[in-house]
Amino acid sequence: MDGAQLQILWSNLIGIVSEQARALQRIAFSPIVREAGDLANGLFDARARMVAQAVTGTPGHINSLAAAAANLLDKTDVSALRPGDVLITNDPWMSAGHFFDITVLSPIFRGDRIIGYAGSTIHHTDIGGYGIGAGARDIHEEGLWIPVLKLYEAGVPNATLFDIITRNVRTPDALLGDLGAQVSSGMIAAKRLNALCDRYGFDDIETLSDEIISRSEAATRACIGALPAGTAHGVSRFDVPGGETIELRCAVTVEPEKGEIVIDFTGSSARSPMGINVVPAYTHAYATFAVRSTLDPDLPNNAGSLAPIRLVLPDNCILNAKYPSPVAARHVVGMYVPFPILKGLAQIVPDRVVAEGSGAVWTMQIHGRDAQGQAFTSSMFNYSGGMGARATKPGLPAICYPTGVSAVPVEVLEAAYPIEFRCKQLEPGTGGRGAQPGGDGQRIVFRMRTGTPWLLNAVPSRLEVAPEGLAGGGDGAVGRFEVNGMPIRPAGKLEMQPDDEVTMITPGGGGFGAL
Amino acid sequence: MTRYALAVDIGGTFTDSVLLGSDGSALVQKTLTTHGDLREGFFRGVDDVLARAGITPTDVNDVVVHATTVVTNALIERKGPAVGLILTEGFADILRIRDEHRYDMYDPQIEFAEPLIPPERTFVLNERTWADGTVARPAEAEEIARIARTCLEQGIVSIGVCLLNAYRNGANERLVAEVFAREAPEIFVSISSEIAPQMREYLRTSTVAINAYTRPITQPYLTALSEELARRGFTQKPLIMLSSGGVIGADRAGRMPVRMIESGPAAGALVACHFSREFGLPDLISFDMGGTTAKACMIQNGQPLVTGSFEVDRRYRFKPGSGMPVTVPSIDLIEIGAGGGSIAWVDALGLLKTGPESAGSIPGPVCYGRGGTQPCVTDADVVIGILDPARFLGGDMPLDADAARAAIARLGDKLGLAPEATAWAVFEVVCEQMAAAARAHATDRGIDYRGLPMLAFGGAGPVHACRVADLIDSRMVIFPPLASVLSAFGTLVTPVQIDLVRSQVGLLDGIDRHETARIIGAMVTDGIEALSEAGLGEDDIGFGFGADLRYLGQQSELRITLPFDPRVTRDASAMRDIFEAEYVAQYGLKLADMPIELVNWHVTARGAPPERAAAASPASGTLPVPRNRTVWIGGKPETVPIYDRNALVVDQSIPGPVIIEERETTTFILPGWTLSLHQNGSLVAERT
Repeated sequence: MDGAQLQILWSNLIGIVSEQARALQRIAFSPIVREAGDLANGLFDARARMVAQAVTGTPGHINSLAAAAANLLDKTDVSALRPGDVLITNDPWMSAGHFFDITVLSPIFRGDRIIGYAGSTIHHTDIGGYGIGAGARDIHEEGLWIPVLKLYEAGVPNATLFDIITRNVRTPDALLGDLGAQVSSGMIAAKRLNALCDRYGFDDIETLSDEIISRSEAATRACIGALPAGTAHGVSRFDVPGGETIELRCAVTVEPEKGEIVIDFTGSSARSPMGINVVPAYTHAYATFAVRSTLDPDLPNNAGSLAPIRLVLPDNCILNAKYPSPVAARHVVGMYVPFPILKGLAQIVPDRVVAEGSGAVWTMQIHGRDAQGQAFTSSMFNYSGGMGARATKPGLPAICYPTGVSAVPVEVLEAAYPIEFRCKQLEPGTGGRGAQPGGDGQRIVFRMRTGTPWLLNAVPSRLEVAPEGLAGGGDGAVGRFEVNGMPIRPAGKLEMQPDDEVTMITPGGGGFGAL
Repeated sequence: MTRYALAVDIGGTFTDSVLLGSDGSALVQKTLTTHGDLREGFFRGVDDVLARAGITPTDVNDVVVHATTVVTNALIERKGPAVGLILTEGFADILRIRDEHRYDMYDPQIEFAEPLIPPERTFVLNERTWADGTVARPAEAEEIARIARTCLEQGIVSIGVCLLNAYRNGANERLVAEVFAREAPEIFVSISSEIAPQMREYLRTSTVAINAYTRPITQPYLTALSEELARRGFTQKPLIMLSSGGVIGADRAGRMPVRMIESGPAAGALVACHFSREFGLPDLISFDMGGTTAKACMIQNGQPLVTGSFEVDRRYRFKPGSGMPVTVPSIDLIEIGAGGGSIAWVDALGLLKTGPESAGSIPGPVCYGRGGTQPCVTDADVVIGILDPARFLGGDMPLDADAARAAIARLGDKLGLAPEATAWAVFEVVCEQMAAAARAHATDRGIDYRGLPMLAFGGAGPVHACRVADLIDSRMVIFPPLASVLSAFGTLVTPVQIDLVRSQVGLLDGIDRHETARIIGAMVTDGIEALSEAGLGEDDIGFGFGADLRYLGQQSELRITLPFDPRVTRDASAMRDIFEAEYVAQYGLKLADMPIELVNWHVTARGAPPERAAAASPASGTLPVPRNRTVWIGGKPETVPIYDRNALVVDQSIPGPVIIEERETTTFILPGWTLSLHQNGSLVAERT
């Protein structure tokens, strides 16, 4: 296949998966999917290798989904799959690391043969159990566990499963609406992939996927091959809700002759009693994100480009969650995975890395009663701090990094809930100083316009340990979380009084290079 | 007596003028845009067509319509005067925080454009309005006056105002405007509740900032233009093309320049509507390919699709998200970074890519001989043999075919392909890129693109349209006459029209009907005022109504068209039915028990569609003997007949492959298609 033919076919595949994602994002209910874009879509070949991903979503979802298809199919009698079958799971170890993320996988038939799979993972609004936050004591407190099952069998909904889901979550309408969106986006992908095969006279996409995956893998290995051999070490420390300080240590070994990078997390913090443990797939997702975005951001993301990056995870490690550890707030630790790797890579390719930044986005959720006594539960919304500086560019202020979500507009929240924002603006001076300064964090102040007590479920991090500057750059400022001007360290749901005012100052990013 | 209408479209490179007589006569002129003073090029073209018609300005007794790129240019050049912004206290950094999203997940080097209005010219006001419209803290006239004085001291000539929840109640913003009118009448004031009264503070602020920034450039320009027209004896006040697809009086357009962005391309889409009527084809896709970009628009039921928001000035590698969002009604154009000047290259994986980097017109493709060294789409077209290097622009601009071939050959070496095969591959890749964009755009909007007829224009459009049509399963391509000045022509076939949007958020079943009546009433009044300014009587004005709805809990809305005035028909179930039907059409399902939420009302005020058209009188008889040229179709040489467009005759169909040449473009018909000349002067290619 020459470079022109392949380009045309490949862009067709990316078109299919992007179309699938846009349909999903438009019809989904969960605001975190729609306004924040917390979703992933992937197209897989018949051997469950991801050949194309949509250009939306978050690294945590996309790269977890890459592994999820094979995981689901391992538990499925593939030979017994029929047109109209749809597989589902939210098993944290098989998909994206917590129950909220439900993965749906639809086989794509051409005649009576499976030629591929369309997969999607989205963050659902609620999955029962403890809800958002790190407070559950084991995974079973965290909600409904859906093993690998058929959601649809030959086009017929699995009524038993739908009943179980409906009875076990707080917002069944939103969840079923979002599941419906996942299923119909898979149908679109199946239709489009068949149309592509018709257009080009293909029986399947195996030759095409071989070509895509092998070229992507070769290009990734070539990128790694251009780096000097050796091992570099990186450490990132940060505090999480409840005050615990986590340390992620890694040894990044570049093996240019094999074209591989091995990341060994030996020496990192042990498993936590809090729901912040990270399953290997999610760790892998953010680790490969760090490597790939540093090597060459234009490399495609698929099974081939992910293969040359290997992980070593010690047994008792916060990045290697084991049953029955709680995992619901795994992003609080998972979103820091790139930083020790980047610090290691800084010794190898200093011009391409990003200094430490605020890390995990601060998430919150509010429950209460409005002035008419009507109960409300907000969706989860999130705010970011400053991004670390780059070698030749400053860090961006108040922007999600490494994840790829958006903040819900103030006016959207104020229209939906009895919340009053008093401030949302940049906090000058929070970004680290340096030849290139880190991005500033932001100050967010709000109160509730309710006459009754309300519950706040806030997940801030980096209140004690600041993001470090790189190459002589200054540290970013730590974040601050205050109620009525008093600093507090929320570790679970906080009971709030009607007039309480919450102030959050998100951390600034680290600077790059001495002034 | 013949009535004359005049249109002038100022684009980035050319200024196009069209003088259209009620007898169907059409005179056109293309001159270079005069960036120093746009009016110079304007009148150069106008003088030329008037002189050729032998008439004087007073004879232009039908409309004078103008589309211009002045607003877009101002945004890209960023050489405007000092402009300020007033925001709610506590929210001063809306333009710098945006939505906290990185538009490219993997690229750590991304950049954003600097906000149009810097922090030192951003002021905050101690005021607050709730989401339900209650003014919790009225703005203080004293504080506003202080800001106004500071603005004067700083030499600020225009100010944008975007206060939180002003989409719901603009009282505090209106007070700002009143106080400024008193204290600093020379400062232009743009308030968000007038410019873009919609929820979402970043989008609204960005829109108001753009309006404030471009107003001190646009409004004086339009005023001076109107005066100059009057001075020269034109009796008609100029109408200005809006990006939403209507034309409006120059005064109003000058106050809302943000609505003029993309007015040229919008006019192009309106041409497609015109031909959709002429050919009786209610649904089609317009395809306009120029030097740096291609634009497409879906026409449904004779109307262009419209969108509520778009993005201008994408700064970083042309990526979506790197520009400034605008939330005003606009014709929904797909813009693709693929034009004749798009550079072809081979990436790290050995894949052939075209664009987004463009050689533009300077240096331009290698074959222009202006110093370009990287092979472009146009170079590939020359190597294939579609373009005749000796007859480009009617021979006014000979192309260097050897240089093009050498550049394409270098590209071919990286792919292991011969030059001709490489050139064809570039042609294929760029066509697929456009087809892919069109497919995505259509399916995003719930339209089945397969089989849609296509209308192709722009310098590079007719060269590539037939292949793009192949790739989207289209069966018919129309190549209209006047292709080189089509946008200018489009302004003459569009009605006087303004599209208005206002938010009213609430459950459809429990919506406050008085509030609805108030909001729609205000929009209707505004529409009447705008159209009266453009010279229409109240009886000539028709209204269309629409709404943006969503299921409760969703975050993006579906626009529906209402066949009734929602002030009169207060029927929530009728609206629910329309919404659900549209939802099923787009997404294949509906949600039975989910409450529906209203977000925005739309009101369109429009005059009657004009009855203008250019008459063609194509010859009949027999075809002349064609010239022949070797064209490398699919990398293999074929002898292809070449005709001049003006030598074609009606009722004689020509099987593809065939090439039709005219001064400004070349039409390339592939094997498997048959070409004929229509009575109205259009070329029509149909799948055999």
